[in-house]
Amino acid sequence: MPVQTQGTDTAGEPDVHKAEARPGPRETKRGTRASRGRSAAAAPYLLLLPALLATLTLLGWPLVKNGMLSFQNLNARQLIQHLTEWNGFDNYQEALGSSEFWSVVQRTVYFTTANVVLIMLLGTLVGLLLARLGKRMRLLLMLGLVLAWAMPIIAATTVYQWLFAQRYGVVNWVLDKAGWHSMADYNWLGTQFSTFSVVTMLIVWQSVPFVAINLYAATTTIPKELYEAASLDGAGPWKSFTSVTFPFLRPFLYATTFLEVIWVFKAFPQIFAINEGGPDRLTETLPIYAFVEGVGNQHFGMGAAISFLTILVLIVITSYYLRAVIKQEEDEL
Amino acid sequence: MKRKLIAAIGVAGMLFSVAACGDDGDSGKDAGPESFKGQTLVVWTMDGSAPADWTKDVQAAFEKKTGAKVKFETQQWDGIQQKVTTALSESNPPDVIEIGNTQTPAYAATGGLAELEDLKKEIGSEWTDSVNESSIFEGKQYAAPWYFANRVVIYNKKIWAEAGIKDTPKTRDEFFKDLEAIDKKTDAEPIYMAGQNWYFFDGLIIGQGADLVKKDGDKYVSNLSDPKVTAAMEIYKKYASFSSAPKDKDEANPQQADVFSKGKTGAFIGMGWEAATAIEANPAIEKDLGYFTIPGETADKPEGVFLGGSNLAVAAGSERQELAKEFLKVVLSDEFEGALAKANGVIPNKKSLESSLEGNAVAEAAAPAAAVGGTTPLIPQWAAVENTPNPIKAYMTAVLKGKSPADAAKDVESEINKRLAQEN
Amino acid sequence: MKRSLFGRIWPNTTAVLLFVVFAFPVYWMFATAFKPRGDIITETPVWFPTDVTLTHFDKAVHADHFWTLVRNSVTVTVVAVLLSLVIALLASFALARMRFKGRRGFIVTFMLAQMAPWEVMVIAIYMLVRDSDMLDSLVPLTAFYMMMVLPLTLLTLRGYVAAVPKELEESAMVDGCTRTQAFVKVIFPLLAPGLMATSLFGFITAWNEFPLVLILNKGIEHQTLPLWLSQFRTAFGDDWGATMAASSLFALPILILFIFLQRKAVSGLTDGAVKG
Repeated sequence: MPVQTQGTDTAGEPDVHKAEARPGPRETKRGTRASRGRSAAAAPYLLLLPALLATLTLLGWPLVKNGMLSFQNLNARQLIQHLTEWNGFDNYQEALGSSEFWSVVQRTVYFTTANVVLIMLLGTLVGLLLARLGKRMRLLLMLGLVLAWAMPIIAATTVYQWLFAQRYGVVNWVLDKAGWHSMADYNWLGTQFSTFSVVTMLIVWQSVPFVAINLYAATTTIPKELYEAASLDGAGPWKSFTSVTFPFLRPFLYATTFLEVIWVFKAFPQIFAINEGGPDRLTETLPIYAFVEGVGNQHFGMGAAISFLTILVLIVITSYYLRAVIKQEEDEL
Repeated sequence: MKRKLIAAIGVAGMLFSVAACGDDGDSGKDAGPESFKGQTLVVWTMDGSAPADWTKDVQAAFEKKTGAKVKFETQQWDGIQQKVTTALSESNPPDVIEIGNTQTPAYAATGGLAELEDLKKEIGSEWTDSVNESSIFEGKQYAAPWYFANRVVIYNKKIWAEAGIKDTPKTRDEFFKDLEAIDKKTDAEPIYMAGQNWYFFDGLIIGQGADLVKKDGDKYVSNLSDPKVTAAMEIYKKYASFSSAPKDKDEANPQQADVFSKGKTGAFIGMGWEAATAIEANPAIEKDLGYFTIPGETADKPEGVFLGGSNLAVAAGSERQELAKEFLKVVLSDEFEGALAKANGVIPNKKSLESSLEGNAVAEAAAPAAAVGGTTPLIPQWAAVENTPNPIKAYMTAVLKGKSPADAAKDVESEINKRLAQEN
Repeated sequence: MKRSLFGRIWPNTTAVLLFVVFAFPVYWMFATAFKPRGDIITETPVWFPTDVTLTHFDKAVHADHFWTLVRNSVTVTVVAVLLSLVIALLASFALARMRFKGRRGFIVTFMLAQMAPWEVMVIAIYMLVRDSDMLDSLVPLTAFYMMMVLPLTLLTLRGYVAAVPKELEESAMVDGCTRTQAFVKVIFPLLAPGLMATSLFGFITAWNEFPLVLILNKGIEHQTLPLWLSQFRTAFGDDWGATMAASSLFALPILILFIFLQRKAVSGLTDGAVKG
């Protein structure tokens, strides 16, 4: 049930207003505020201190180190002998100057878009279906979803690799028996598109449960009166969906899309384990590209440079949402 | 700040330990084994290299000789390159490391391996040249050859009999004729040949007397478009035409031994231990298994093979260099080198020990080809070429799917050259 | 409103189909783990293992230091998740309930922190840990896992805290509680299901992590289960039976945890929100 961020904020809103309308507590609040003064002003910072310290040391420090590495010529020899060879912007120049990098960026954007759209669409549909089902069927479907969701990524990729194996894979066998005989010996990892299809199926399979279950949980918080009011106004099922359900879920959908964009964009084990970015490096997304160039080829400086470019691309992609969040937080204050 | 402090302590520590070494050096030599007492040597071997009984015997012999203990740590294959590279950079690395023969030049070039010239002088005079070659970098010994293996033909006697074949083939043409017979007379797949069995392809290249790289000025470039390499690829294509195996997978996916164990495949080209894998999957197949040397152009010379294998190296950063060398003397002694060859059916580092292979059908089939075996180019830059995704595998798949070898080579050569040009 | 027969049947049919799609890979993993080697790679899939064997599990459990790795994995995962929950709870309370300068900056910082490319940063992290002489220890590993899950934990908990009606807290304070007491006595119990739900994400992330532990902890006594899981897939090909058996064992604790926590979490959230 993670990520009710925006959703619950809104859901909680009416209560807050109610609370504020009542005179009692409000006055008390003022009273206690005044009596506390300075210590209260420091409180939020104290509460945030552990999180901030952790972020600075455990994320900030490695990022700075990574940044330093990105300006170095750091290969196995330099790593082993503890040599530091600065080479300025060489790594960035080389990465940005190669057409390969740009086609990987483009591919990553397409891949992320396709997956996120599928995940959100299917997730929403399954979530709405959950809301519609009877108790027993709902439990059954939930069980299936939770099983898929909880499957550790390493285990899931292994199983998928094998379900889609060319010679003894279950998928080809089923397609063949279903009458599609040309699929009997189909090689799923032979082309860029079919490899991406398998990866997409895996990622969508793993991600839909998160969206569906959360969305279902969110729909249960929609006050029944809203639907009653809508049906009194003569709204059909579609109208009541667009006028009640959807507006209510909108913040939730935004927040979830944002998370899915990050997760899909960063998907690493799924792509790497299925076909190692093949065939012919055609399914390498940015994280895989950074790993192959950096860790795989032991050009750690280059890998660090690409990883920074990767973060930049991700920030650009999510900037719209980030801006919206900043604005919203502003409004709240 | 902190790093500087640590570095300072490190330097101080080093001065101290150098001084300590100086002291020890003199007295240590006289004391002999005594000074090793209480120490523990850490040895990294790859999964499947060191059999349990053999390990136990080595430990006992080593302790008896030096008074020190040895701890074997079995390494898994996943991510091994990252592990070895980072381990060599540490202040307390494993003392002895098993390193693949084709990887050895690259690691020697990083400065992470200790030089072993004196060890070679002391115990290495009989080492077979072809297997010791990979341990030499810029004229100096950086590792010691440990064990080697090459591929053989593993075949299903029942299917061959069904096809009316009486004897195992002595030349490549005879082999192809036999495969044709199996194709016609039985419903079995004549041979399982995955499209990317790249080490078998390397063997064919060696058989043609070709090389995968050539010198261009002072640097190495791809030689994939060489007519001899093309000839090797044509032979490979002919083999693959008898198989319905995936053209873009290697022999491990699915494991060819698993496919073979179903009893519907005439033969496959694999390592000796793959026969054991097949038997594990289907015990009934054991009685039908047979082995022969991969036949070459003519009956007097077997097909070229890739001589895979492992060397043992001492980490340059190890604080127990002398003890590590003592360990190498024990493991590489005739007793243990021979015992390993016998237990694993692998080819030992000297000719005189090959007698320990007697009675082992696979090893006996493998040994004749070992004499004409070779490796991948022994230059430090080569290891990068084989990194996933291996461009040569892409070349093989492209040719098998109908591209002309020249075009296929052109497609991947820039990638190969890029990798060869990488600094280490 | 009465629904037509069709209107009643299609949701149920779809649900069953979806159940099969989502559960089948999980089933296939367990089923394969129990099959003898000859039944695993077959021309016609063996849908139900008739000839059940435990050899694969036996092999998986008897791998070197298996129980040490189990202990390490459990320790690292549980400590990392608990730490991140505590740290995130404190921070989320500030972010959801208080007004102060820089609040927006903090929120955006944590949102950006979610984007950290951990897989590619392993070398930088490795060098820091190596130079601090902390290799082969569970401490840095736990710390970094904690950090990997902290941003999402924090942002999620902020949502849960915001969902608890302010009036509850305030009325507790009217009753003479301090703000801390109000938090512990009133808000925390309401948050409990949320905390559990949030911890799921952390569990699965820390439990799965591979690239970092691979190079930080080379001594087998300090390794975790993902490394064990990878050993049945070698350069020579995969031992599918053992891989599937190991995967099953690896997945089991997370599956159980999910099924257990998931129900609480959903009901907890809906209860809290509706009653509020």
